[in-house]
Amino acid sequence: METIKTNNNHFVVVHPLDDVPETKVDIEALGPMPMTRSVRLSLLSLRAYLVLMVMLVVYHVVMLAR
Amino acid sequence: MIDKAIATPAPGVDTEIVPARGRVVKSKWTRDLLTFLMVFGPGLIVMVADNDAGAVSTYSQAGAQYGTHLLWIVLLLLPVTYFIQEMVVRLGIATGKGHAAMIYQRFGKWWGLFSLLDLELVNFLTLVTEFAAINLALSKMGVDPRYGVPIAAAGLIFIVLSGSYRRWERTVVFLCLLDFAWFFIAFRLGPPISQVVHHALIPTMPAGGITPELMFLVIAIVGTTIAPWQLFFQQSCIADKRLRFADVKWARLDTLLGACITITAAVCMMLAGAASHAHGFRFTDPAQMAADLGSFAGPGMRNIILLMMINAAVLGTTAISLSSAWAYGEVRGWPHSLQLPWREAPGFYALYLLSVAAAAAIVLIPRAPLQLIILGVQVLAGVMLPSAIIFLQLLLNDRELLGEFANKPWNNWVNWTIIIVLFVLSLILAAQVAAPNLFPTT
Repeated sequence: METIKTNNNHFVVVHPLDDVPETKVDIEALGPMPMTRSVRLSLLSLRAYLVLMVMLVVYHVVMLAR
Repeated sequence: MIDKAIATPAPGVDTEIVPARGRVVKSKWTRDLLTFLMVFGPGLIVMVADNDAGAVSTYSQAGAQYGTHLLWIVLLLLPVTYFIQEMVVRLGIATGKGHAAMIYQRFGKWWGLFSLLDLELVNFLTLVTEFAAINLALSKMGVDPRYGVPIAAAGLIFIVLSGSYRRWERTVVFLCLLDFAWFFIAFRLGPPISQVVHHALIPTMPAGGITPELMFLVIAIVGTTIAPWQLFFQQSCIADKRLRFADVKWARLDTLLGACITITAAVCMMLAGAASHAHGFRFTDPAQMAADLGSFAGPGMRNIILLMMINAAVLGTTAISLSSAWAYGEVRGWPHSLQLPWREAPGFYALYLLSVAAAAAIVLIPRAPLQLIILGVQVLAGVMLPSAIIFLQLLLNDRELLGEFANKPWNNWVNWTIIIVLFVLSLILAAQVAAPNLFPTT
């Protein structure tokens, strides 16, 4: 940091990496997001769906390769 | 605070404290331009790097097989890709953390590890395709890949080792700007502008109707235009660059500009493919397409396309490897910043180095069916995308986390529509794999 002489009619532009770090949300303090049972089940179904889809894609690619 | 110094004139005092490297400007216009240039980078890089080797291959294949008929799909993806990345911008600026860290901390270890595993798997497979493309392009240029591929890998490692985010960003932005060569290629080879405009604005179906091959290619186009790694990369990049709350509008503009450039470049790649289609060439891979186009447009054109293919792969590799290294570093709690010298973040740099070196080494050993691997990886990314966006959507509705940066109702409408369309596409893929005769030709 340094002090420079300025007047009223100007703006100071600072690169984000040269700027003083901002205070952001403290995520550690927030902890895990509260999730209802239905959200939890939906996410689990999503995971199962994803595993199935990945297997199908792999199968399709192997078939195309033959 | 300093962000006030950016947004407002200096207060009516004769002396004020500004950071050593702050720039003093007199007009609002100059202030805005300079602020934009300082914020500019992550949005452009994430978008242009998305046009990686796989994208060059997928778009040119789409052009080579279906001419200009699929242009409207690419154009439709412009707002989609912007809306998704804009959410990442808000999340990154509001929290100052990467996407992997966010999932890990807000959804817990189990979901965090699954997301990380998905990301690292698809990223690594994608890296292999990037080096396979470099290998292919170098071979067509008469350069021995045994030397060319390790040199490319060494260059990719060298650009991150400077211990300066800014140096890395400037190098990569320069490589991004080389993408403008695609405009020249399309201008030289492309079909009449009236045909391009017609097929870009009016959805038409190619001759042959909806076939499994067409659906597979459409999903691959979606998968290559909006990839899971982009969410992780841009948020980590924003966190590493330490963008401030006042930078949101400039980061959005950066993202929009990047989206426009990348979609226009994608259209140009499709037009190059369409030119080879118009001359009756059969598409096998983009390097062969470059050779085919060179047979009537000259060796200069062939070399430009091959160099652009290498550039696309290099951009993709640095962005994807960084998204892997940032994500892993965030989850493990390792130091993970391009601002740090390698001695202070050994795990972060080692992962980047390992990803690049392993992918390059794999390509040099076997002779893999490149086009099939590329298409398969793009489809895999397309399949994994809906679940990645669902996590993003849940995080963007977390008012406790984002406050005023949380999604508005219209954001949610747009995003759920995108998610539903992506799910439908992946269900169609599942259906056609399970029952290949489901989509008879018309």
